Amino acid sequence: MADVQLKNIKKNYGDVEVLHGIELDIKHGEFVVLVGASGCGKSTLLRLIAGLEDISSGELSIADRVVNNLPPAKRGIAMVFQSYALYPHMSVFKNMSYGLKIAGKSKADIREKVEEAARILHIDHLLDRLPRELSGGQRQRVAIGRAIVRDPNVFLFDEPLSNLDAALRVKTRVEISKLHQELGATIIYVTHDQVEAMTLGDKIVVMNEGRVEQCGSPLELYQHPKTQFVAGFIGSPKMNFMDGRVSAINSEYLDIKLSNGTITQAHVESADLAIGDSVTIGIRPEHMQEGTDAEMVLEGQVTLVEQLGEASFVYMQLDDGAEIIVRASGESTTTIGERIKVCFSPVSAHVFSQSGQAMRRLKAGNVKSHAELARLKAVGAG
Amino acid sequence: MTTSNHKAPFPWHILFFLAPGLLIYVSISVYPLLDTLWLGFFEEDESGQRFFSGLKNYQTLLFDAVWSEPFWNALWNNTKFFIVHMLVQNPIGLMLAVLLSSPRLQWSNSYRTLIFMPTMLSVVIIGFVWQLLLSPIWGISENFLYDIGLGEYFDAWLGNEGTALTTLSLISVWQFVGIPMMLIYASLLNIPDELIDASVVDGSSAWQTFWNIKLPLILPTIGMVSILTFVANFNAFELIYAVKGALAGPNFSTDIMGTLFYRTFFGFQLQSGSITMGAAVATLMFLIILIGVAIYLFLVQRRMQRFQL
Amino acid sequence: MLNQMTIPQKLSIKHGSGKKVMMHGVLMIYTFIALFPIFVIIINAFKTRKAIFKDPLALPTPDTFSMVGFEQVLLRSEFELFFANSMVVTLLSLFFVLLLGAMVAFALTEYKFRGNLFIAILFAMGIMIPIRLGTVSILNLMSNLNLVNTLTALVLVYIAQGLPLAVYILSEFIRQIPKELKEAARCDNVSEYKIFFTIVLPLIRPALATVAVFTMIPIWNDLWFPLILAPGEGNQTITLGVQQFIGQYVTDWNSVLAALTLAIVPVLVLYLIFSRQLIRGLTSGAVK
Repeated sequence: MADVQLKNIKKNYGDVEVLHGIELDIKHGEFVVLVGASGCGKSTLLRLIAGLEDISSGELSIADRVVNNLPPAKRGIAMVFQSYALYPHMSVFKNMSYGLKIAGKSKADIREKVEEAARILHIDHLLDRLPRELSGGQRQRVAIGRAIVRDPNVFLFDEPLSNLDAALRVKTRVEISKLHQELGATIIYVTHDQVEAMTLGDKIVVMNEGRVEQCGSPLELYQHPKTQFVAGFIGSPKMNFMDGRVSAINSEYLDIKLSNGTITQAHVESADLAIGDSVTIGIRPEHMQEGTDAEMVLEGQVTLVEQLGEASFVYMQLDDGAEIIVRASGESTTTIGERIKVCFSPVSAHVFSQSGQAMRRLKAGNVKSHAELARLKAVGAG
Repeated sequence: MTTSNHKAPFPWHILFFLAPGLLIYVSISVYPLLDTLWLGFFEEDESGQRFFSGLKNYQTLLFDAVWSEPFWNALWNNTKFFIVHMLVQNPIGLMLAVLLSSPRLQWSNSYRTLIFMPTMLSVVIIGFVWQLLLSPIWGISENFLYDIGLGEYFDAWLGNEGTALTTLSLISVWQFVGIPMMLIYASLLNIPDELIDASVVDGSSAWQTFWNIKLPLILPTIGMVSILTFVANFNAFELIYAVKGALAGPNFSTDIMGTLFYRTFFGFQLQSGSITMGAAVATLMFLIILIGVAIYLFLVQRRMQRFQL
Repeated sequence: MLNQMTIPQKLSIKHGSGKKVMMHGVLMIYTFIALFPIFVIIINAFKTRKAIFKDPLALPTPDTFSMVGFEQVLLRSEFELFFANSMVVTLLSLFFVLLLGAMVAFALTEYKFRGNLFIAILFAMGIMIPIRLGTVSILNLMSNLNLVNTLTALVLVYIAQGLPLAVYILSEFIRQIPKELKEAARCDNVSEYKIFFTIVLPLIRPALATVAVFTMIPIWNDLWFPLILAPGEGNQTITLGVQQFIGQYVTDWNSVLAALTLAIVPVLVLYLIFSRQLIRGLTSGAVK
């Protein structure tokens, strides 16, 4: 089985440690996405797994075999590079067969494998072309094809979509997803784009400054971000953050006094918070709405309205200066300069301690109606 | 445009930008070259009177033993000079470039700077430096060879008819190895890292990666280095002149086109110089260089595609 | 399993560092080969004649130290003058090559006019065909202009020699300047001259530095044209001056070594100061 296990993996360049003890367990057939801002170490981690860089300490095993000191070709991996890295002087066929040739496979074998991969990827008519004669999307396929013919346990993708235009990116994303199902192989995929991560991954690993910030399914990360970093990273537009202080601790919710004086509830565990502690409260734009239908109400001045059709993003400034975004209905008639009220339900609030750790939410999701809230309270009490 | 029947004013600014440079270039480079080609068809009598004589100079140069022997000798020597550069300078340059371009090599910049240093100095100075170092009177090389146990092989290489030309070629190689090194190094750096990574993932060894990936990609640069070497070699003069003088001794064994041209033009010992004969030699040098460049442009460069990296 | 894995680990580490050591070994040996001859000349220039022959590889000590060679060179030749001549010729040629080269490059890349391609090819040919081949006529020309034995003749020849490569490299760079910059200026009614001198020239400064280096070195080091156009009487450049001096005093080892050292050291100092720019120019792909 092609489990990939990372145990306390560290990497340093000289005195600078760039990966601080990564622990990760990847199951066979899983599609794992490493996501994070540039410089967070995600690409370095991928290169360590590929064997393109030495692991400073820790243990990496692929399919129950410690591979720390095996060269890339012996690890049972294949890699698709950001720039595709097609050999410019070789035809598509030669590009795809180069690894097999080096491995000493017979000509017939090579031809069979390459042709099969080309068929899967619909590039069989391009085998004699040079890379520069191909479009971006075709190059991408050749790069994937080169990986497929190696018949690897694990596919490694390093930001493979970043060189494609927006339309093609969406199309290729779907194709990679299909390919994953078709091949049933383990895929480790690096990207900085959280949408790509959410749509592709079975499991998402959010990295920040050389650490795994959180690892989980897309929905888990969305609903229960463990840290303020993850909360801000996953979701678009970004989660709104407001500063406040704990003013009361109840069994199933906290009262938090925002800096503008509003007292708001948040349905989270209090953990070790005490009254008076500074916290950050986070509410996703899509969990807020115009009007006063939900319990918690904020008031402010509209600074910008972006109309997307199916929704409108209302940018507003609260009286204490905090800027928030509200995903309002597409029919919203709000205009710039207007003073409006927006509201949210305390269930959808996230609370982060001073150190950025999230308080466990009692119920995830976007709950707005009082009825649901009542049901939730019942569950929480039970 | 409805006003297109207005005549545009004369573009004085183009003339302003172009004229000074073009004037100097044409009058001091293009015209003299063409004039030299033309002069090769003339002869001069004792009074300095010039008259048209067609291809007679070339006939003399190529077939009259008095002239043709030195000519073919110089051409053959020059060819050997070029071959030594191709066989020694460019491979060493390639090797150094490959070593320098290996990732995360410490002191890479210092090596590069120091190895390139001799290239900066005047050929004349380098010629004298080596003349001193190889001089049996001073004996530095001799002692050095004795120290490493090769003393018996020492000889006055520069004074020996059999070895002088090779020795001078190697001195020139020593000086100019920095140029192929730098150009190939630059072209190796232009190969994207991901391409090399891809070949590593594909399982190729360092040697296979060099042979299958890097070399094909730097071939155009190697082609360019070769043609630069060719032009520089068939235009060389200073090193031989500095070390061996215009007579390119011993017994013309180090005579190359440049020194032959100089002697023909300015004269030496009893033979007086001839402008028209000099022009004829220059014309032949021009043709040789032209043939080399043409071969490069039409055969070599056309076949080696520059790959978009 | 783990035991099995530890063996290749040790091997691979040893193998990896062994390769590094070998690479450094080769590079160090070559660096030594490149520097040693120059080093020997320079150290011996500061020794007494006896010490030069007794132990050529020894550094000068208080006992063997001597500046007699330098004294002789400065006494018997007009070394300072040669140096100044080289300076004047090189700097003047350089200035004009850069200025005129940039102007031509600008005209050829910016404007469409009849003969544009022809002129561009004419200059391109000059990169490959050495100006030296026209020496016979150049000497004729200079004697007709009464310029033989003047530095002016050298400057003119070197401008013509340097222009082709300058035009080529600078054209490549001028082509990369965004059209919008020039068009914006034209919309503001800025004259073409002003566009060139205030927008284009400052933008191609890095390219000018590269061209400067490529132009300067061959001029400073040239022997051929000084030998033919300005061989005598106070007009020698340093290369020619040293060549003539050594030819004359070939048996005076102190003087010869000192003369060589005086010719080498300034160039090396300049090189070490500007090597960064030079190498960047060489490796930036400006010359393809």
